[in-house]
Amino acid sequence: MNKRKKPPIPISGVVYGEIIYWCTCVSALVVLYGTIKSFLEVDQTIPVEYLLNAVFEGRSVEAVWTGSALQKSPDALTYLAILNSGEAITVAGIAFGVLSVGPAIFFSAAFMWRSHNEFFAVTALLSGAFAVIAPFVFFLL
Amino acid sequence: MMISKRLPELQLLILCTIGCYIFLELFVASAALDGLFGFTGVDIIFISFLLSFFVAIISVIAGVGGGVIFTPLMLAFTSVDTLIIRSTGLVVAMFSGLVASGPFMRKGLADIKLVFLGALPILVGGFVGSMAAVSLSQHLGEAGDSIVRIALGVLLAAIALIFIVGGASTEYPEHGQRSKLATKLKLRHMYWEDTLQKPVKYNVHNVKVAVILLFAVGFTGGFFGLGGGWAVVPVLNLVMSVPLKVSAATSGVLLAMGNSAAIWPYINAGALIGVVAAPWMLGQIIGGIVGAHVLSGIKAAFVRKLLIVMLFLTSLKLLSRGIEGLFNISIPFI
Repeated sequence: MNKRKKPPIPISGVVYGEIIYWCTCVSALVVLYGTIKSFLEVDQTIPVEYLLNAVFEGRSVEAVWTGSALQKSPDALTYLAILNSGEAITVAGIAFGVLSVGPAIFFSAAFMWRSHNEFFAVTALLSGAFAVIAPFVFFLL
Repeated sequence: MMISKRLPELQLLILCTIGCYIFLELFVASAALDGLFGFTGVDIIFISFLLSFFVAIISVIAGVGGGVIFTPLMLAFTSVDTLIIRSTGLVVAMFSGLVASGPFMRKGLADIKLVFLGALPILVGGFVGSMAAVSLSQHLGEAGDSIVRIALGVLLAAIALIFIVGGASTEYPEHGQRSKLATKLKLRHMYWEDTLQKPVKYNVHNVKVAVILLFAVGFTGGFFGLGGGWAVVPVLNLVMSVPLKVSAATSGVLLAMGNSAAIWPYINAGALIGVVAAPWMLGQIIGGIVGAHVLSGIKAAFVRKLLIVMLFLTSLKLLSRGIEGLFNISIPFI
């Protein structure tokens, strides 16, 4: 090989990186939309000014939410129920970015397998399965 | 400027973000928050975004994850609840790594085989660590937590010292013997070093030890809610003999993957406040893209110096928090 020639880049890595990169960019736009909506919505389920004041006053998580219209700490299902609110859209945007890890790993594992790196394809599949199952395990606990 | 011209998506994100904040500043009547020097909610969000942008650039270059900078800073200088800081810290630690995965993989800086070798131990370690944290806090209370923090602080300082003593050899580590397991797994790679304008070959060593250490890193990351990138670079570089720049890039990708499981209990507990985390996430994404492109063009020695400073600062913070918790005293300025 020419000593100055750039080495080839593994396609499985590029696939993994591209999926996560673009999903993260989309999630950023969703989060931006959620932020604007939080400040602009008139009939707020979760008033943004109240949230910021409560958080920077040092109130505990429970106290922050107890003082809001929700009156209890929201879980994932609560966010789904109020998905039209700015705060829920913002959290959904963050969650979308986080969830992009799972499919990125699975697609990358397929290319890893095709390039005869079976061991790493299997470790990738196991990691992907763990990343996808983890949220549901926590919800059950 | 050159980076944003090459990346239209970065231009779009910067334009949308800045446009959004200017719109909010001009057209939304936001009241001043109590005890925050007259800053309004919109001001705080914009300041958070700017801080996050700079934290992201530094953390991507050093491969440590922004949580290591964000969490101690927030714990030291604000009265925000620790659970909210930890959840936002995970977002900070994760998103610069998530978005930097694209450029790192495109440039061949992050080693995908090393990522998948370390992913499972870090994911499982993080999961077990967060479970252990909950269990230990119920049984041992804050004293046990303080002792572990002090031990971790000493460990980090020791790693920083090894980096200093190791000198230039850690930038492109050389190892006499070839590892049988690494050879069997075809764990040898080559990347293009922009600063040298030539490809750099490397072989991986001590695979078994590294897998155990990565589990331990995942465990401590999950246990403290700091992420684990600060320790992944030393494991890859010092134990596995991976060049420092590849270690930093691979660490960023691994860190993002590892934290993706740990964020869910925080979301489910309502500890992730969207409006607080959003500017930090956006700053991490834009700063992460900039940082990932800067990394390939800077000298490896600069990354090493940055990493040493960060390890010492984190160690200082961990030690002070441990001593504060153990002896119930307050250490100023740390």
